[in-house]
Amino acid sequence: MIDKIAFLFSEGLKNFLRNKLTNFLCIVTILINFTILGTFFVVGFNTDSLVDFFRSKYTFEIFLNDDVSLEQSTVIIKQIESNSVISSTILIDKEKSADIFLEEFGEDVVDMLGYNPLPMSLKVSLEKDNFDLNKVELLINDIENYDFVDSVEYRGIYIDSIEDKINLFIFFFLISVIGIVFISIQMISNTVKLSMSNRSDFIEILQYNGASDIFIKIPFFIESILQSIIGSFIAFLLVNYSFIVINSYFNLNVQIDNFLWAWMIGLCLITGIYASNKAMKKILV
Amino acid sequence: MVEFKNITYNYSSKSGIYNIDLNIQDDEFCFLVGPTGSGKSTLLKLLYFDLFPDKGKVNVLGYSSKKIKKKDIYKTRKKIGVIFQDYKLLKQRTVYENIALPLHINGFGRKKISSLVNEALELTELSRYAKKFPNQLSGGEQQRVCIARAIVKNPDIILADEPTGNLDPTAGHRILRILEQINKEGTCVIMATHNYKLIAEKPYRIIELDQGRVVSE
Repeated sequence: MIDKIAFLFSEGLKNFLRNKLTNFLCIVTILINFTILGTFFVVGFNTDSLVDFFRSKYTFEIFLNDDVSLEQSTVIIKQIESNSVISSTILIDKEKSADIFLEEFGEDVVDMLGYNPLPMSLKVSLEKDNFDLNKVELLINDIENYDFVDSVEYRGIYIDSIEDKINLFIFFFLISVIGIVFISIQMISNTVKLSMSNRSDFIEILQYNGASDIFIKIPFFIESILQSIIGSFIAFLLVNYSFIVINSYFNLNVQIDNFLWAWMIGLCLITGIYASNKAMKKILV
Repeated sequence: MVEFKNITYNYSSKSGIYNIDLNIQDDEFCFLVGPTGSGKSTLLKLLYFDLFPDKGKVNVLGYSSKKIKKKDIYKTRKKIGVIFQDYKLLKQRTVYENIALPLHINGFGRKKISSLVNEALELTELSRYAKKFPNQLSGGEQQRVCIARAIVKNPDIILADEPTGNLDPTAGHRILRILEQINKEGTCVIMATHNYKLIAEKPYRIIELDQGRVVSE
């Protein structure tokens, strides 16, 4: 059995080395397709980070009633911070509010009106790791019902809208991935067909000498596996180093999945094996 | 061992074989003779399940054309050695590698392969050509390589389709001698030929075909 396996592997390797041009073209095809796919993977991976980024920036503001004292506000802060979805709470007292007004509108509201009409407020930041929009919305509803609360400024709707756009992007991303995988299957399948028709004499001789279909298929599978590994590995290197260069050149922080190589090579192997099996099914009747 | 039961096979060109009934025994040497298009090659193709009869059934080594599944055909072919008029050798491989091919298919180990290939090379008097490539050999030598490849796995049946068709008389006689020797060792040999002169004085069974029918036995 070991001798048979060794023979089949050496046949696959010999075939791979013999059909340099066909294999080269197939590897280039895989390289192009999987470079695009790898880039999509990285972009897709960073879409999650983008959502996280928006979510981490998501804050809401609680405007307190005029009669709430500083002491009471400290108690309120403790109460709010006890919730697991809250990361931190900053008290913006009336003076700070006036400073912010001055900063944003260039007018001193106290000078203008002779008194400070701005309410005391709490700026609440949400916990990034435990983010759950439903929980946050429930919490906001609760807070709105508190006696000391005048109003809550809620920007969750923007997050929803951004997430909708991101989901649309993910949908197109998935369609593109399916498209690229489909093109790769066709390309690899055609290469295998070409390779098999070039070796139809060899296949015929094997069949007349009692070779089973699987015996005939294995060397072609090995050829496809080698094409897939080489093509997708080069594509991975290209994608990985391109993003490293882009990060350093544009001072970005595009994250690259630690298992990107496994995704790319794994998917390419599955594609290659499926495509060669599809091609061989049509030829080996 | 080999049984044709009321076999009919039609090609689209309206030629074929019709209502053939034949039995061939285990250690028999049997000639199928007849002019080109008489159905000799068709009979052989039916034996290694390259073709399937339109009517009737072929039984070979316990496998029936009615029952065998396409994926199991290789099991029968493992027990049959086929010799072709056009040799069907792999041009990029040496004589040794060509002969070793059926043994690799059967999963033999390297040492066993070496000893069996050397035996086949000796029997076909090809030992000195082991490292040569088929296109470096004459037609007769290439046909001997084809015979060596057919016998190396020690098959139960040898099917030879016009093995002397492209050869000069001397080479033809040499091929026939080798096949007779293989038969003496107990292997059934079925040889298709239109070379009546070559087999004229041989003491073996001759089945004569004409226009797809057995005309004499």
